[in-house]
Amino acid sequence: MRSTEVATGTGLATAVRRLATAGGAGVVVGLVALAGLTLDGTLRAATETTFAVGALLLGFGVLGWSGSVMAGRGIENMQRYMDTGSDWTETDSRRAMARISGFGVGVMLAGSLATVLL
Amino acid sequence: MISKRYIFKRLLLLVPVLFGVATLVFSILHLSPGNPATVVAGQQASAEEIRQVEQRLGLNDPVWVQYGRFMLDAVQLNLGESWVIRKGEPVTSVLRWKFPITLELAVLGQIAGIMFGIPIGIVSAIKQDTITDHLSRVGALSGISIPIFWSGPLVILLFSVSLGWFPTSGRLTQRAYEGGAPQTTGALLVDSLLEGNIIMFIDAAWHLFLPAMVIGIYSMALISRMMRSSMLEVVRQDYIRTAHAKGQGRKITLLKHGLRNALIPVVTVIGIQFGSLLGGAVLTETVFNIRGIGMLLVDAITDGDYPIIQGTVLLFALVFTMVNLIVDLTYSYLDPRIEQ
Repeated sequence: MRSTEVATGTGLATAVRRLATAGGAGVVVGLVALAGLTLDGTLRAATETTFAVGALLLGFGVLGWSGSVMAGRGIENMQRYMDTGSDWTETDSRRAMARISGFGVGVMLAGSLATVLL
Repeated sequence: MISKRYIFKRLLLLVPVLFGVATLVFSILHLSPGNPATVVAGQQASAEEIRQVEQRLGLNDPVWVQYGRFMLDAVQLNLGESWVIRKGEPVTSVLRWKFPITLELAVLGQIAGIMFGIPIGIVSAIKQDTITDHLSRVGALSGISIPIFWSGPLVILLFSVSLGWFPTSGRLTQRAYEGGAPQTTGALLVDSLLEGNIIMFIDAAWHLFLPAMVIGIYSMALISRMMRSSMLEVVRQDYIRTAHAKGQGRKITLLKHGLRNALIPVVTVIGIQFGSLLGGAVLTETVFNIRGIGMLLVDAITDGDYPIIQGTVLLFALVFTMVNLIVDLTYSYLDPRIEQ
């Protein structure tokens, strides 16, 4: 019981850390992109574009994540059954998609922060 | 027996899918060039008029406020009002009457695909490498290869123009019904049955036959090929050999023991196909002049009617995920081990 709790806690912490790292990277990239886009046009257009690109990444990541959860096991089994293993696993896919989602949220945050602060 | 926990888990997964689709639609529409306020106000509108439209539609708000408002409204099934096509009419109301038309077409196409595809696949497997098998292979490959925008006009030319067996377009012979079509569900076949109007039912079925067959051909081709290969796979299994050894006839063994197991990959194809049929309905509706959700989407994209585009894409996503859920539940019914 205790070990399960510890394991769950560790898993959750790792997942949160993974999301936070990707989100942080997203904020940094988002701010850089925002600065670059502002030089080329208005701040309003730059924030809109940055936020929309972030939302695009978030949408893609969330869809990919749920797709991995829904069909991941089936794809793994199919690879095993057809003997066409490509090292693709449901867990890896889920983690990658979570990172993309976190990154997207970071970029969106950067766009929103700029609107609020400037 | 399918457990409630499994169904609940699958239903729960619909939430991130719909959230992801809504976010994607929002972002793509905001990344596309052009100012929607100009579309709404008209090309001749002054800057002041455009500014007023922007104010009214909330396009002046920061993008994250617009995103939050869109998501909050979507959760409450408030998809806004049409900007251009049905100006001022709620999107849900527009979709309510357009979607049954497309759904009816897609369901009829799918039924045609299943009704012909599964038996053809089974016969091809049973008569492997015979002339029947070769003919069905040629038919299936033709069905997969020929696009709807080509097969549709050809079918119209042959069956409507040359032979005169079927109407070229529309859903009803309008002159025959002065009171207009019934509006209970929006699906003519169902509505005419509910009204007990057999003549209208036959008329609607007569109009829908060609478009449904055009959609169904592609589906049938894919289902029959999948059914054949899946059946051939099952035929080589030990339990089939055991049934033969115990004296059971070949055809009975295949239909009783083989079919259920062979259906699992076919069900996947049917599920995925249904989504494609909805997409294919866009082309079919255009060819046969059926004003369903496909043509609505094309018009909305042309006119820049963002709320209609968002609503239609969300509806497609919802239907597609629900069909996938039904497919998954069917798996569990066909092979209870899958649930584990």
